[in-house]
Amino acid sequence: ILARKFTDKHEWISVENGIGTVGISNFAQEALGDVVYCSLPEIGTKLNKQDEFGALESVKAASELYSPLTGEVTEINTALADNPGLVNKSCYEDGWLIKMTVDNPSELNELMNEDAYEKYIKSIED
Amino acid sequence: MVILLSLKNCFQLHYGLKIPAAGFRCSANSGLIIQSVSSDIYQNLAVEDWVHDNMTLEDRHVLFMWRNSPTVVIGRHQNPWQECNLKIMREKNIKLARRRSGGGTVYHDLGNINLTFFTSKKKYERMENLKLVVRALKALRPQFDVRATERYDLLLNGNFKISGTAAKLGRTVAYHHCTLLCNADRFLLSSVLKSPYKGIKSNATPSMPALVKNLFEEDPSLTCEIVMDAIAAEYARCHKIDHCITLINPGDETVFPGINMKTKELQTWDWIYGKTPKFSIRTCFNMVYKQSLLEVKVDIQVKHGRIEACNIDLPEQWLPPAMCSELEKNLTGSKLCPSETAALASTLLRVCPQNYELHSKWSLLCETVMTLM
Repeated sequence: ILARKFTDKHEWISVENGIGTVGISNFAQEALGDVVYCSLPEIGTKLNKQDEFGALESVKAASELYSPLTGEVTEINTALADNPGLVNKSCYEDGWLIKMTVDNPSELNELMNEDAYEKYIKSIED
Repeated sequence: MVILLSLKNCFQLHYGLKIPAAGFRCSANSGLIIQSVSSDIYQNLAVEDWVHDNMTLEDRHVLFMWRNSPTVVIGRHQNPWQECNLKIMREKNIKLARRRSGGGTVYHDLGNINLTFFTSKKKYERMENLKLVVRALKALRPQFDVRATERYDLLLNGNFKISGTAAKLGRTVAYHHCTLLCNADRFLLSSVLKSPYKGIKSNATPSMPALVKNLFEEDPSLTCEIVMDAIAAEYARCHKIDHCITLINPGDETVFPGINMKTKELQTWDWIYGKTPKFSIRTCFNMVYKQSLLEVKVDIQVKHGRIEACNIDLPEQWLPPAMCSELEKNLTGSKLCPSETAALASTLLRVCPQNYELHSKWSLLCETVMTLM
C-alpha cells in the first residue's frame, strides 16, 4: 500500500513512479455531502502547490480544490463526469480526482502523514 | 437605519501595504453590514469575489445586501441553454450571469433581495443564517409562516418557495448567499426560467423547479427597504454590533482595489457561457420550405460553449451535400451563439453560388440552426 499524504485543506496524494494521484479525504467527503458535479482541470495544466485546480459541488455549495504539490496534470478521472458520487463512495480509490507529475519531491515532506492528519482532524473537530 | 458613511471613516484602507486582505477593515467591529448602491449583477458578484479574495475573516463576518436589475443567475456548474430561455432574455434585455457558487438558476429583479453571509470557512453555517432571516421576518410580521427546509430553501405557508441558497467555500473564507423574493415579476420569472431548447444531454447541475411566491403578496405594506433593515437589525443583534448599514459603491477602486477587473471577468462570454460543462444537443425539427415540410436532424457537441463537432442531416437532394458540409465545417470551432452564427452565415451566403433557390434554402437552414442557441 502506498502511503497517502494529506494537506490541511483535506486533499490527499499518493505517489508512484513519479506520478501523484490526488483525491479528497474521507473527512472532506463526509463534510461535503453528496457530490453532484466535479469540475476538473484540463490535462497539461501546470499547477503550483496550493493552486486552485477545480471544484466539487454538493448540496448547492461549490468547494474549491487545491493542489497538494507543484506539477502538471497528466490524467483526470473521467468516470466522475457520469458518476460524481464516486467521490463519496470511494474517496481513496475509484473517486480519485487527478494524477499529476511531482516536480519538487521535497514538497511531499511538508504534507501530513496519515497519523498527523488524524490528529489534525481531531484538533479541528474540538 | 441606513447611513451613507464616508467609507474612509469606517474602514482603514491598508491596501497599499502588502497585508493580505487588509484592504477593507472595520476597525471597531468584528462584524460589518454593507449594502450595494449598484443594481448591476456583475458589479455585485464582483464584490463577493473581492471580499472572498481579499479579506481575512478569521474573527470577522460580513453581511452584504444587494439587489439587481432583471437578470437570470445560473450556478457555477450549470448549462444556460438547459436552464433558461435565452431568446426571451435577449428580447427583453434581461442579463445572464454565472455565479461562483453552486446550486440552481434564479431570477433577480429589484423586487428580490440578495443576502451574502461571509464568514471564515470554520464558521460557515447556512442554517444559522436562514434562521436569522426567519427571525427578522417574524419580528417584522409575527403572523408570517416562514420555515427553512433541509435543502436550505425558505418556504412561505408550507409550500411556496421565497428563498433559495447557494454557497462557495474557498481556502479560508466561505460565503453563503440567498435570494428573498419580495415583489419580483413572477410572470417574467417563470417565462425566463423555462428552457425551450430540446435534446440537450449534459452532466451539468440541474435546477429544481419550485412553486414560488412573493413575500409582499402576504403583506403589501412591506417594502424591500423595511425587510433589509429588519435583517440588518437581527444580524447586528446576533453579532453584537451596531445596527448600521454601510452603503458601498462596487465601482469604487479606492475602496475595492482591482474590483473592476473582477467585474469585467464576470461579464465575459468565456465565463458566462464558456464555463458550461461539456454537453451535446441531439434534436430534430421541421422546416417549411415552399409549402412542404422537411425534417432536419442536428447533432452538436459543445465544449467550453463552442461547437466541437457538428452534424446536420437533411433530406437527400434538398441542398448540395458540399454546401451542408461547408456549414458544418464553419460551425465547428465557433461559439454556440446566434450572433456569431449569423455573421458566419452571411459570410457563407456571399460566397454561395448565385442561385436564388439555394440562397433561400441555405438561409432558412441557418436560421433554423440559430434557434438552437
